[in-house]
Amino acid sequence: MRVVVDRLSKAYGYVWALKDITLELRPGECVALLGPNGAGKTTLLKLLSALLAPTQGEITLDGERLHTNSPRLRSLVGFLSPQDHVYDGLTASENLRLFTSLYGKGKNRAETEKHLEIVGLKNWADQYVGSLSTGMKCRLIIAKWLLLEPRLMLLDEPYGVLDGSGVGLLESYLRNLTSGGGVALIATHHVQRALRLCSRAIILDHGRLIFDEPKQEPWESFQRAFENFAPREERWNY
Amino acid sequence: MELLRQTAWLLWKDLLLELRRRESLLAMFFFGVLLLFVFNFAFEIPREKAAEMAAGLLWLAFIFTGTLGLAQLYQAERENHCLEALLLSPVDRGALYLAKVSFNLLLMLPVEMVVFPLFWMLFNLEAWNLILPLFLVAFLGTIGFCAVGTLFSAVTLRARARELLLPLVIFPLMIPLILATIRAMEIVLRTGGFEEASSWLRLLIGFDVIFLTAGFLIFEWVIEA
Repeated sequence: MRVVVDRLSKAYGYVWALKDITLELRPGECVALLGPNGAGKTTLLKLLSALLAPTQGEITLDGERLHTNSPRLRSLVGFLSPQDHVYDGLTASENLRLFTSLYGKGKNRAETEKHLEIVGLKNWADQYVGSLSTGMKCRLIIAKWLLLEPRLMLLDEPYGVLDGSGVGLLESYLRNLTSGGGVALIATHHVQRALRLCSRAIILDHGRLIFDEPKQEPWESFQRAFENFAPREERWNY
Repeated sequence: MELLRQTAWLLWKDLLLELRRRESLLAMFFFGVLLLFVFNFAFEIPREKAAEMAAGLLWLAFIFTGTLGLAQLYQAERENHCLEALLLSPVDRGALYLAKVSFNLLLMLPVEMVVFPLFWMLFNLEAWNLILPLFLVAFLGTIGFCAVGTLFSAVTLRARARELLLPLVIFPLMIPLILATIRAMEIVLRTGGFEEASSWLRLLIGFDVIFLTAGFLIFEWVIEA
């Protein structure tokens, strides 16, 4: 999947959350989206998932303009936000059956259980999601997107709630996605972890794109751009 | 077909959540019954006048209990940002609307089924044979109530003090519906048939069709706003 963002801007009232963002995400890319709080990372993810409509500019997915009303394109975009987007009052298995059905990919119980087993939740298939820990919820959401097979995966702070094996699971999923031509965009403050996986970094600051380069060694330009907002322990060292 | 399939899945989800939590149905049921007792204690209605007032009092009980249900209608979607999850999906927004209208209807109908006979008992009414025709009129009114209520419950979803705002928005819009339902019920109670009430029934059916269609068509803009 090729994602083209052309002069994209988003205003909330009189405040510009994003201003004139132009970038291209190529098939097979895994990109780290970095920036301080309030930089516009989540807004960019929500625009890319058509949850928000842009104030100016446009997004195209494989040449087709993304509208809020484009069901076909919606089914190609995944959005992983840990703890969110699953019903607490349904069981893990029921959540998967509901969402796969809404995406027109109805899966039977055996298939959902297989994916719950992959993410380490086989024994919790019939537990209410409300009783699961935040890390387990995140694993369930990974199982959901494994079943729904989006081509563009947007991740909003995915690392905070996952343990070591959970991170391994997520990274393996993203590697499989990108090796098949899919695209992943990870908004995170866990810079070291994200840059181990990603081949490119984008930095937003005050709604503007201030850095966009492929990963390289040494990477002094990244260090210069990053050190303005990074906490000391997160400084990128080469 | 796809629309119906999506609607069925969304309705299944709402019913399952309600069966497990029993929040809305129990609250509506007890509130409806409580209102009847309050009416019974508050109004000294002579037996011969009870039939005249029955329509107004019954419908008052239904719209108050229904408003209670509307306030909780999107509660499941507010938790864990599940509304976002639905909006991310390729599901038809019309299916979201139809599922919520059907769910709301399925909450209100059992309450009405209990409230009707209870009203008859409390006010010592004799014409038990009129309960079914009256229920049919109330059913038409309830469809309109759910059509409008579901739409405007979504409009006020992100508003502060939405529980206060919702009745202020929907009640003025429902004046034709309330008027037509009460008048039709009164006529059915008085005459025992539908013939004289046909103009009010036509108004009710028209209201239902217009708001169901409008709600289905504009729900996309309402829910994504």
